[in-house]
Amino acid sequence: MASAEASLRPTRRASGGAASAWLRLAALPVLVVLMEVGFWTMQPDVLSARNLINVLQQSTYLIIFAAAQMVVILTRGFDLSLGATVSAVSVASALVMTSLASGGGSAAIAVAAGIAAGLGLGLLIGLFNGIFVSWLNVNPFVATLGSLNIALGIATTISGGNPVFNVPNALSTLLYSGKVLTIPVPLILAGTICLALYFVLGHTVFGRSLYLIGNNPRAARLAGLPSARYLVLAYVICSLLAAFGALMLTAWTGSGEPNLGGSLMLESIAAAVIGGVSLRGGIGGVIQAIVGGLFITMLANGMDLLEISGYIQQITLGFVIIAAVFFDRLWTART
Amino acid sequence: MGSEAFRPVSASLASSGADDLLLQLAGVSKRFPGVLALDNVDFDLRRGEVHVLFGENGAGKSTLINVIAGTFPRDSGRFVYQGRDIGHLTPHQARVAGISPVFQEFSLVPEMTIEENMFLGREIVAGGLLNRVAMRRRALEVIAEFGFDLDPKRKVGELSRAHQQMVEIAKAFLTEVRLLILDEPTASLTEVEVVKLFDLVARLKRSGTGIIYVSHRMREIKQIGDRITVLRDGRKIATVNSGEVTETALVELMTGRKIDILFPKILHRPARKVLEVDHLTLANGTVKDVSLFARAGEITGIAGLVGCGKSELIRTVYGLETVATGSIRIRGELVAHPSPAASLKAGVCYFPSDRVGEGLALARPVRENASMASLDLPEFAWHRFLRRGNEKKAVQEVMEQLKLRPLGIERIVANFSGGNRQKVVLARGLTRDVGIFLLDEPTLGIDVGAKAEIYELMRALVARDNAIVLVSSELPEMLNLCNRLYVMHRSRLVAELSGAGITEEAVLGHFFQKGAGGENDAVPLRRAGA
Amino acid sequence: MIEAATHAGQRRRSAAVERLYRLYDAAGVLPLLLCVLILVFALFVPHFASVENILNVLRSSSFLMIVSCGQMLVLIVGGFDLSVGSVVALASVISAIVMAGLKVPLAGDPALITLLGVLGGLGCGMAVGLLNGLCVAWLKISPFMVTLGTMSIAGGVAFVLTDGIPVYGMPVTYVNGFGRGLWLDLPAAVYLAIAVVAAIWVVQNLTRMGRYIFAIGGNLDAAVVSGVRTRVYLTASYTLSALLAALTGLALTAEIGSGQASMGAQLTLESIAAAVIAGVSLRGGVGRVEMVALGSIFLLILTNAMDLLNVDSRLQTIFLGVILVLAVAAEEARGRKWGRGQR
Repeated sequence: MASAEASLRPTRRASGGAASAWLRLAALPVLVVLMEVGFWTMQPDVLSARNLINVLQQSTYLIIFAAAQMVVILTRGFDLSLGATVSAVSVASALVMTSLASGGGSAAIAVAAGIAAGLGLGLLIGLFNGIFVSWLNVNPFVATLGSLNIALGIATTISGGNPVFNVPNALSTLLYSGKVLTIPVPLILAGTICLALYFVLGHTVFGRSLYLIGNNPRAARLAGLPSARYLVLAYVICSLLAAFGALMLTAWTGSGEPNLGGSLMLESIAAAVIGGVSLRGGIGGVIQAIVGGLFITMLANGMDLLEISGYIQQITLGFVIIAAVFFDRLWTART
Repeated sequence: MGSEAFRPVSASLASSGADDLLLQLAGVSKRFPGVLALDNVDFDLRRGEVHVLFGENGAGKSTLINVIAGTFPRDSGRFVYQGRDIGHLTPHQARVAGISPVFQEFSLVPEMTIEENMFLGREIVAGGLLNRVAMRRRALEVIAEFGFDLDPKRKVGELSRAHQQMVEIAKAFLTEVRLLILDEPTASLTEVEVVKLFDLVARLKRSGTGIIYVSHRMREIKQIGDRITVLRDGRKIATVNSGEVTETALVELMTGRKIDILFPKILHRPARKVLEVDHLTLANGTVKDVSLFARAGEITGIAGLVGCGKSELIRTVYGLETVATGSIRIRGELVAHPSPAASLKAGVCYFPSDRVGEGLALARPVRENASMASLDLPEFAWHRFLRRGNEKKAVQEVMEQLKLRPLGIERIVANFSGGNRQKVVLARGLTRDVGIFLLDEPTLGIDVGAKAEIYELMRALVARDNAIVLVSSELPEMLNLCNRLYVMHRSRLVAELSGAGITEEAVLGHFFQKGAGGENDAVPLRRAGA
Repeated sequence: MIEAATHAGQRRRSAAVERLYRLYDAAGVLPLLLCVLILVFALFVPHFASVENILNVLRSSSFLMIVSCGQMLVLIVGGFDLSVGSVVALASVISAIVMAGLKVPLAGDPALITLLGVLGGLGCGMAVGLLNGLCVAWLKISPFMVTLGTMSIAGGVAFVLTDGIPVYGMPVTYVNGFGRGLWLDLPAAVYLAIAVVAAIWVVQNLTRMGRYIFAIGGNLDAAVVSGVRTRVYLTASYTLSALLAALTGLALTAEIGSGQASMGAQLTLESIAAAVIAGVSLRGGVGRVEMVALGSIFLLILTNAMDLLNVDSRLQTIFLGVILVLAVAAEEARGRKWGRGQR
């Protein structure tokens, strides 16, 4: 919904170029620092080395989910089914792993099969979303609302509503507790994903097309870019990343949880938008997802250390979302 | 026959008793975030006068008329209407006072009916509920007064643009009109309808209505205007009597620059045929049985009124519209299923008329926009991996050649003026091997200086043996630039002119062709009893 | 003579057919589909046509209908209201807490207790709606994000106030007389829904506000230059949506007999589904309340039939997802066939 005044006023070139862009980029990191300092004054543990490492590890998951959302938000869409996908993948992969492992098979094969099953499910959901949004022209809201219901239904049906226990330890070693050169595996995985996304977005035709499609789909089509195909790919990547994150989370909890995705839909969108990915499409990147993910995790962490109840945290998140979008609107008012 | 639309408003119809000032604005300013839209503007309007507001896009014309119509308030300055000082003004109050705007595009809701649109904001209410009977009656009255063929129950979104314009006019005349504002009224009217509009304007002048006429079309304003006020960058530059100023002087006032030669001399050296269209008919009927060709080394023009199908024709060649029957050949080879990607590979590029809507990603930098259509080339991408160093160098070179001002390819396109934005669009034809340029209204909404640069580019392209197909509504362009000129009328080809045969009279003559059945397709504006 | 008669007959027939076509174009496929569905289910699904089941369906669809009417208003004006589910919960909780809290101080005056509880519930709905409206209309924030935020806030508040535990203690007359009562053999909620739909119908078709809401959603600029006070009506739409959600919360609470913070979780998605199935465009400017009422009934009949066929509720969720997406895809295809729907 554009502002009427903006449409009626003269189309003069907007003033302020590089300066305001830098300001915008710096705003959130500064805010993060201020917030942490604020928390520290009330609870010194916040800035302790142990806590900071803890937060960093915790944030890797949200960063991956925020990055997944970012890919789709860039195209002026969003994925409401992200949380449900995480739940479904967690349960499905756990079931595959436990049934293969309990049958006396090797843990390695069970884990591999489970990972394949999980990623496969993510692929299917992503294809569903992509096909409906890109080829059948369904509004992303409705398409991913539909797949949300479907994924949720799958998750609760195949799990019977209960967690799937006894996931092979091999998974946890692989995706959670292992260390490579003393760095915990989750950090390495998240780092790799971010680097890969950064490269794809900035250095491939596909990545470049996402920005163009998001900013002006008609122009992208006119320029001969395979927008329909790339749009499907964007949704597939989002769901695949969500599936991978789900596997990592399952490795952490050690069981397939039908409610794993819980509030992830909300948090991933909030993290992306707060970090600076614009809902209007065509603006944003991996850095924004990282900063946004860090911010939300640190906010939750600080409130946890201050022993603020989960419900109040939820309320705070709501206010933070509104504030973040308000400022985003303020900054982009000039373009 | 052809020049009827441009007969001068005769002296007897000129403003008489024009000493009553209907409207007086003094020192009016209006600021929006980031932009000073109006800077201390003076403006006045006499009764029975047609006062033209002239200026480029972004000069402030739109803001000024919105202030007058009450859409938003001014920041400072005096506003005197019919001798009374006006402080705060709402659109409703303005209409009640007799100020009636006819806007170009903003004013109709497509999903609502004609009568709902006419009464929007000033519905007739009985006891808190809408009085639909009274509104239907009044709507029919106004429509009948003009003799429009409009059914108040129809949805506006289903109407043609010309009919939508009629709805806008009917809406403006719902209440008594003392001050009429016409915002680019002829943009979507056929020449015949323009004549009728001018007749209406003459009628209103006789009855003492003051008219503010916003336009950037030189011909019209000299014909219809009594006085002309030129705006530039939000400031009033001058107010002149229409009869005392030359076109060149007006352009110089508008741009602030001296312009001598606008059109370069183009040396056409037609070679082989590179584009052949045979009996082309589109699925939606906007092009019917059209056959034409274009050759390398010359500029082929397609002229015609708004809606004649010329735009759709070249869009089809590029692959944006669906073909029903007929064939397209590029360099002799049949193209069965045109598509943008295939066309680009074949060296055909289309440059859209709606550059913001179809040509540019405003929030992305110039570099990305200029290379948008070339990402399949090995110079720009190796197996789908971008070669950013190459891209930067190539785009920098091209934008230098096109004289992008200021030359910063990392700046986002939104920060550039219309003329520079068009250069970014045109860049796609230079970052890859394009031999056939399909230009759709390339100088629409561009200041004169940038226009000259674009014409120069066209000259250079032709000199390098490229083929240009130029679609434009600006007659001077077609007359001065094209070696061969086709004229389309109501989806069909009605003329093929070349060389010395391209004259204003000949072209206009074909504009007024009657339809196949002999009827005139324009809606007759019967004046009741006049 | 004969030729003239047949010709006249043919002309008359095609006029009737013409009218049928226009009706179909205006109403869409939903009414027809609904009738077919009801017929099929009545014949093949056991207990579907029983009185008890019909009453059940009517009551449940009434709740959804009221919320969907509010959601429709916001969709027409070009926005989204993701917070309705949380407002239902919040109104439920607040009204129950107020009524329970006044049980002793105002003992013997159940009418007053009820009134204050209802006012409390409606009041908090209005507060959330105002917040949504002001942010969207004045601060010009994306409705999706704003209502996402207020959804969190309202939901959080509901849980904070109750710690997740149901709140009992409402006046018996309220629960039995209104929530679970039957007036003229129909659940009270049905009358409430009918009243709401009728009121919204009047607003849509017979008042200025109705027109302005369509105008704002259909072409904001046109509304502005026509002097419509867009910000006022935008705010009003969001406020009404939240109010109606609060009303639903009150009715649900009366039926269940306790205030619960977990109430209405599905209602947000269902209300959007009902509206979309009813032809309300997600781009704004289009929507009819009669259709939305039918859409709510449609959704509920489907879930009811699935319940009666013992389809697992978890599978039902999947079904609903598929149906929603197919319905919108079909609507898109229909729109494009008729030449509308340019992107």
